[in-house]
Amino acid sequence: MRKAMILLVGLMAAGAAYAAGADTHQEKESEDVAGYILHHVSDSRELEIEVPLSRNHIPIHLPEILIPLKAGACEKQMTDHGEVVPSLGAGCLDLSITKHTVMMWLAAVLLIGSLLIWSNRDKTKLVPRGTGANLFEMLVLFVRDELAIKNIGKEEGPRYTPYLLTAFFFILFMNLLGLFPWMATATGNLAVTLALAVCTFVLTQVAGIRSAGLGGYLAHLTGGVHWSLWFIMIPVEFLGLFTKPFALTVRLFANMLAGHIVIFFLLGLIFMLGHPAVALVSVPFAMGIYLLELFVAFVQAYVFTMLSALFIGMSVAMGHHGHEHAEEHGHGEGAHSHDHGKAHVLGS
Amino acid sequence: MAEQEPRKHSDGSELGETARQMRAAEPYISAVWKLVGGAVVGVLGGYFLDKKLGTTPWLLVGLSLVGISVGFYGFLHEMARLGKRKR
Repeated sequence: MRKAMILLVGLMAAGAAYAAGADTHQEKESEDVAGYILHHVSDSRELEIEVPLSRNHIPIHLPEILIPLKAGACEKQMTDHGEVVPSLGAGCLDLSITKHTVMMWLAAVLLIGSLLIWSNRDKTKLVPRGTGANLFEMLVLFVRDELAIKNIGKEEGPRYTPYLLTAFFFILFMNLLGLFPWMATATGNLAVTLALAVCTFVLTQVAGIRSAGLGGYLAHLTGGVHWSLWFIMIPVEFLGLFTKPFALTVRLFANMLAGHIVIFFLLGLIFMLGHPAVALVSVPFAMGIYLLELFVAFVQAYVFTMLSALFIGMSVAMGHHGHEHAEEHGHGEGAHSHDHGKAHVLGS
Repeated sequence: MAEQEPRKHSDGSELGETARQMRAAEPYISAVWKLVGGAVVGVLGGYFLDKKLGTTPWLLVGLSLVGISVGFYGFLHEMARLGKRKR
């Protein structure tokens, strides 16, 4: 194992030295490192298949889909940075297929394929056989027992488990895809993490309405103050609803993006300092961060799912708080008395 | 036909430590958000209304004061309710 590691590091250092040696314009190269890193972590309308140990790459152009909401709204404009497609605000709906969209599709196909292969479809045999089936069962049981039930509760937890499992595996597959050559991390895109957070947000609100009822949910938005103060308190409570999905969005995006930038930057040091010997230090460091990223892929999928379960659980508990309010004001006695003792357990 | 047993409600003992702590902290987080959010909504609301109606700076000053006051009231109201519940 140790010999294999030394050989691998040696090979990577030789590759980096070759790449560094092949470049006759090292100064220009060092200036381009930041641009190269940003180009590789950001979304684009083409997939680049880089040819190893050469400067060549095979571009695959992805289809452009522009839907004008107003006549002539999608006409491209020439700027200093090249052709620019008008924004949604200008009336152009851009539904083009991008690198990250392809990665999401690939993650979904791999996820469905692996689950079809490894899920135990024979209901007469309850015990899964084989490594893949056991691995998936372990992860599924972990999400149900440790995340859903422990954060939402024994009664409501199983109801939200399918969503939590979907989010966990989809994020995990997207994170892991980004660690393969020629691939990209879709979770390093703010739009992707925002869409995932919106799903959790919708489910959180649905859980709140189911638990407290529509009246209780709307009453919660008034902050429990006199009606004459609602014109300030309702916007305050409404804005407060978005703090949790905002945290989910930014946290996943920043964590996935930061790891990749660190790896690229460590490798970029070879070109910035302009000497192949730097590879002896930066390549092992980059490999260390790469292994850390492998761990982070699982941790981030876990944290997103855990926080989603926690937020849904807090919304479910909103119903209990609602009953407490009613009790304090002398209403609803008896109607929900079975819940009151438990509400104090949950809330204290 | 056997009589159906009433549905047993969970007592919350299956919840993890994080979930218990977050649920316990949630009313306090909400109270702090009322304090901060009141000021934010008042200032932003006043600023944009001033720009739209051309009344600079009167609505900004007025709504800021109202927002801060409502935020404080909401915070103290929530704290009093939580204190009463603890007792």
